[in-house]
Amino acid sequence: MAQLFRPGANSIAVVVLVAILVVPAGALTLTYFLWKSPYATDQYLTPAQPVPFSHAHHAGDLGLDCRMCHTGVEKAAFAGIPATHICMTCHSRIWTNAGMLAPVRHSLASDTPLHWRRVNRLPDYVFFDHSIHVAKGIGCSECHGPVQKMALMRQERPLTMGWCLQCHRHVERRIRPRDQVFNMDWRAPPDQDAMGRALIAKYFIHTAHLTDCSTCHR
Amino acid sequence: MSSLTGSALDRRSALKLLAAGMAATMARCSRPSEEIVPYVDMPEGLVAGEPMRFATTLTLGGHGRGFVAVAVDGRPVKIEGNARHPFSLGATDIFAEAQVLSLYDPERSGAVAGRGTTWHAFAQAWTRATRDPSGLALFTGRVTSPTTLVQIDALMKRFPGLRRYRSEPIHDDAARAGSRLAFGRVVEALPRWADADAILVLDGDPLGNGPDQLRIARAYSTRRGGKRQRIHVAEPAWTLTGAAADFRIALAPGEVREVARKIANDLGAGLGEPQLSDAARKFATRASAELRAAHGRALVLTGEGQGAELHALCHWMNARLAAPVDAFPSQDPVAGDHVGEMTAFANDLHAGRIRTLLIADANPAYDAPDALHIPAGIAKVPFSAHIGLYVDETAQACTWHLPLSHALESWGDARAPDGTASIVQPLIRPLHQTRTCDEYLAWFATGKPASAHALTRAAWQASDRNWRQMLSDGAVANTAAKPITVSVARVPDLPRAGSGRGLVLRIAPDPSLGDGRHANNAWLQECAKPFTRQVWGNAVQIAPEDAQRLQIADEGTVDVTLDGRTFAAPAVIVPGQAEGVIAVTLGHGRLAAGRIGTAVGARVCGLSFARTLSGAAVAKSADSLPFRSLQAHTRLEGRAEDLFQISGAHEHEPNEPGLDEPPPSILPTPQRGEYAWAMLIDTDACIGCNACVVACQAENNVPVVGPEEVSQGRDMHWLRVDNYALSHNGALRHGFEPVPCMHCELAPCEPVCPVAASVHDHEGLNVQVYNRCIGTRFCEANCPYKVRRFNWFDYSGDQAYAEQGPALEQQHNPDVSARGRGVMEKCNYCLQRVSRARKTAEKESREVADGEMVTACQAACPTRAIHFGNLNDAQSDVSRRRRAPRHYTLLAELNTRPRTTYLKRVFNDGEDT
Repeated sequence: MAQLFRPGANSIAVVVLVAILVVPAGALTLTYFLWKSPYATDQYLTPAQPVPFSHAHHAGDLGLDCRMCHTGVEKAAFAGIPATHICMTCHSRIWTNAGMLAPVRHSLASDTPLHWRRVNRLPDYVFFDHSIHVAKGIGCSECHGPVQKMALMRQERPLTMGWCLQCHRHVERRIRPRDQVFNMDWRAPPDQDAMGRALIAKYFIHTAHLTDCSTCHR
Repeated sequence: MSSLTGSALDRRSALKLLAAGMAATMARCSRPSEEIVPYVDMPEGLVAGEPMRFATTLTLGGHGRGFVAVAVDGRPVKIEGNARHPFSLGATDIFAEAQVLSLYDPERSGAVAGRGTTWHAFAQAWTRATRDPSGLALFTGRVTSPTTLVQIDALMKRFPGLRRYRSEPIHDDAARAGSRLAFGRVVEALPRWADADAILVLDGDPLGNGPDQLRIARAYSTRRGGKRQRIHVAEPAWTLTGAAADFRIALAPGEVREVARKIANDLGAGLGEPQLSDAARKFATRASAELRAAHGRALVLTGEGQGAELHALCHWMNARLAAPVDAFPSQDPVAGDHVGEMTAFANDLHAGRIRTLLIADANPAYDAPDALHIPAGIAKVPFSAHIGLYVDETAQACTWHLPLSHALESWGDARAPDGTASIVQPLIRPLHQTRTCDEYLAWFATGKPASAHALTRAAWQASDRNWRQMLSDGAVANTAAKPITVSVARVPDLPRAGSGRGLVLRIAPDPSLGDGRHANNAWLQECAKPFTRQVWGNAVQIAPEDAQRLQIADEGTVDVTLDGRTFAAPAVIVPGQAEGVIAVTLGHGRLAAGRIGTAVGARVCGLSFARTLSGAAVAKSADSLPFRSLQAHTRLEGRAEDLFQISGAHEHEPNEPGLDEPPPSILPTPQRGEYAWAMLIDTDACIGCNACVVACQAENNVPVVGPEEVSQGRDMHWLRVDNYALSHNGALRHGFEPVPCMHCELAPCEPVCPVAASVHDHEGLNVQVYNRCIGTRFCEANCPYKVRRFNWFDYSGDQAYAEQGPALEQQHNPDVSARGRGVMEKCNYCLQRVSRARKTAEKESREVADGEMVTACQAACPTRAIHFGNLNDAQSDVSRRRRAPRHYTLLAELNTRPRTTYLKRVFNDGEDT
């Protein structure tokens, strides 16, 4: 009777034993990083829009304030996408025949709204509120990134819960004076942490509640 | 009725699905692209996603009550009370709250139906039919709307021979006839409840559903502190007023009249010797003495179950007692009585005197007694058009049906019982091709289309400024009628109870459905009736003595026979009901209400218009009909006295001892954050009207589960109103106890959750994280208060009884998640409102003020029984009330330290006042 196990069987056994440990661990690690990667979170994704609206031009070059178009940002959960009329406030006078603005003119003429693609998307079970962040000194650029440099709008941050919590756990690292909220070129000063703690006290921010589930989910 | 459990999946399909599911995990599906669609021209003042509030009017039996409708992004999602309207006073009732669901009901009619499906076809048929206008008739329910009355007048001018009939199923014929008997004219007598120290209610239900409920309930609650009223009630079957009474006696309707006779005699009526049992004599003697002692502040009321004579006698007694009652001219301009008008309508139908018939927002084919044969009569009419919200029984009998706009889509107006007018303001453009009643009537009268807005403005002739004021106030200033002076000419006679054989059948409006016009509203169908906690159906309520004599089992099915007509319904034994009386409610057994409301329960309006009928017989039925109740789900272990506590009247004055230190616990004591939210419910003020339950449902996207699921013991209400029957001072009492989540500081649900889906936040809210929940239901098992609700199916999704399709999703409050299958949920103290209040305050760099944060149940409550606030503030309303001696905690011995606590019920039934 021939040998049941050939000499190579030893090697196979070792490989199998190692694989039993390594493969699941590797799969889990891979999944974990894949899950957090831009591939899964859509970070840096730049969707095509019906009108190639450039924040770089409007907010950067021209220096328009965010609130000129995003009218709800200080009042409501939803910052608001401008109505066609707001675009036409200027574009009924300048660039009136620009080809890329044809959909906007058509929208006004036919009374049909523009259909923009959403860029920064949170799940429906997250109740994010722009107004309270703006009121408490969290600048636009914290979440939206350097919008004034984006020709087309892209999702700058991963928008995962872990990413949200980074800030909710350490507000002092992100908070800025209220009058700097709409300053897109804001850089954190060297004494950010000390200033942040002072601002937390000044703005009555109750940091303990910020990590409660009920702050964002209901 | 579709099955919730669905059809069984065969093996092959199961394997296919499994394989497909595994394949699906291989590919990463990109998240669906989402669009943002802004306005072309944003309306001024609108902030996307923020609620907007508009004062409007909803009618109940034709009477208007002002409410505030809340719309988010143009969708009405909630009805709130309007503090400026004297018949809302900031509160709502179940019918008002449920209107947002009816608005989106996919079964509401949306198109012309009948012998054609277009306006054009109808217009041609109408023109042909009215070439000979003789035999033209208009049938309506009660109309108080000034604008509609203008259109009806115009129609009568255009067609001078028009016959007009008006009949409301929940009518007030006895009150009308009684006031005619007493005063010689029809008078709307409205009590000033708060001004009375002694109140006697003889078989009436002023605290029950009705256009006057919110006003009286508020007055009732204002008298629960300080010098208390004494309320005496004699009634055959339990009513909300009976449960609120300090002294209550169960008497057959005839015996109630003997009590009235005795009391009237004490006031000098001289109506002959009353025939009273000992108990009734004791009750009557005490009530009589207290009424006379409270001269000028004593009140006697009765209801539709009694005849005109007792109503007249009450007017006479009130006159003798100088009672706080205001008499107003009736807001119903039609002179005839409702029963008489319906009978005349039937006679004219059968005699062929009606050849062209318009029925506006009424359903006589369902409402009228079978003996009148209304559907057959309508079928004889060559041209009949029904204007209504649904293709209902009457629409099916008519040759044409015209779709009616919902009140939240309409312009119009209505008057409250005292004449206060308010404007009906639309919150949304009509969802379907519908028009308002005024628009139809104006078109019939003029042949030209007119907008309801123009008609309403024309009727009011108000300047732009005044019009805006009327709209924003929700009540038109100075439209309440002046009370009129009336005098009772003579003592009315009171008939003796006949010695009729058989049982007395009492028919009452249903506490959840009223007259049944909203039967297709699932919230109302699943709103538990106050005493039996029954849902999805009605039952024959029978006294224990009669049940024993007739060998009828609790929840067994019975046949009720009266004058040769029979209906079958489950019986429910109700202690405290008068012997010899059986009670049943209207509004059920609809033949064509829609998928929700058709064939639920027994139709009893076919028997008679009368509310009290004698000669009924009850026998065990061969059928077996289900009795579906919510309370049987959690039986008490003989602990009613712990759970619903009663206090003597003398304990009422607050002294302020500190709260006892709670016993120690092995669980870590939670730290208190900036706010410590707490709720306090005054069971002494609660009348059991269920407004809070339906308000919670509307606010929190709480789905219904449907009759099949209720039969399985399932329920989704975040807030329930428990009903306790217990004995106090030798008398049977009913108490109502609204039970939301207790938000225990040491919550038993939390340690048992394996995924930490049940957690506390820093403001003391015990929150449920739906996305973490894996549905073990350990928390539900470990909750001693049984307030947690599990989604066994996708109740809020696509199930038949839940929400029937995309239309109803529009009702959802966008601030609240819709929960999916397999997830536990429960009351969260209206977290979205807490969050909104906190953010509003924080934006203004201040604390949330006491009374600023109002939960949905609290806002709805007509008696202000629910209080909410911050325990960290020792001077907040809740903190102060928690120091009252009446304060108690449910299952305090468990040391769960609930944030929701209660105040004891008080019965002012000591012998000294």
